[in-house]
Amino acid sequence: MEKRRGRFQVKAEATRREASSHMTLRAVRWWGLSLGAVGVALTIVFHWQVFFWVPTEASMGIVQRIFYIHLPGAWVAFLAFGIVALCSAVYLWLGEEKLDHAALAAAEGGMVFTTIVLVSGPLWARLAWGTWWTWEPRLTLTLLLWFIYLGYFLVRNSTQNRDRGRKFAAVVGIVGALNIPLIHMSVLWFRSLHPQPVVARTDGPQLHPDMATTVFTALGAWTLVFLSLFILRYGTARLEARAERTSVDMGDPLSAEQGAVTS
Amino acid sequence: MIRVVLMILALVALGLGLAPGTEALQTGDAPRQMRHFWHVFAAYALAWLLVFGWAASIARRLKRVEDRLDP
Repeated sequence: MEKRRGRFQVKAEATRREASSHMTLRAVRWWGLSLGAVGVALTIVFHWQVFFWVPTEASMGIVQRIFYIHLPGAWVAFLAFGIVALCSAVYLWLGEEKLDHAALAAAEGGMVFTTIVLVSGPLWARLAWGTWWTWEPRLTLTLLLWFIYLGYFLVRNSTQNRDRGRKFAAVVGIVGALNIPLIHMSVLWFRSLHPQPVVARTDGPQLHPDMATTVFTALGAWTLVFLSLFILRYGTARLEARAERTSVDMGDPLSAEQGAVTS
Repeated sequence: MIRVVLMILALVALGLGLAPGTEALQTGDAPRQMRHFWHVFAAYALAWLLVFGWAASIARRLKRVEDRLDP
């Protein structure tokens, strides 16, 4: 009798989790796709501005337009790694699994957008400076940021004990974010080839009004695109964890092993 | 696919050619302008390739977990 009741409870729990999974999936889809739709619409506007509307910069010419993808890329990368650091710190404190999932989702986005910065920068530098790369402070620190968060993923999967891997990764996530203020201030503190800030200044943006409008549209568009994908990735991680737990409850040891390898 | 890329390239080139201020730079330096154009195009194309790559990986994961939860 006791055994039958126990089995019934497991089944009821699995059904409740399944219903909850469907709700999570719906909410994640709705928020992710809604933000994504607005982000894509704003992206179309921003591309029209970049290629048809904004005036061409007098000294650098057409290549200056890379700035409209480079700067928002950097902003989104910093936002993403800020989320990683915040969620990682609270995860270490409270131990809530969902915070680790949020940090993981943000770290993926941060890597994508830092790669955009590291690719678009040299494409501009080759024509503006005559070289693809130079070991000046801002470039070097940005490359270091990329490697730190590459380490975040490596550390995460480096141990058989999943909880320990997550905790190590959380520490890397926090340490990595300390690099962000250094990157921002490096052009002011050190002798640097990189242009001085033109938007994030205490005396306001030092740009032609049309250029400033294009930059802010791009910032909005990329932030929304990032948030949309971040929500979808976070929801996917939550559902993966739930599916894994359900499989373990149902006595499927293979899926538990697979989960340990893939997460 | 190639046709779509060529159409985008033509549209972007036309847009950049007509953008305010560009005509002042076109003083017999066409190869330099072409090089600038290619760098801009490459930067935007690579950026979107990366974002779409991330979106595709999320979609693949979501589909997999959906199939697992609701076979």
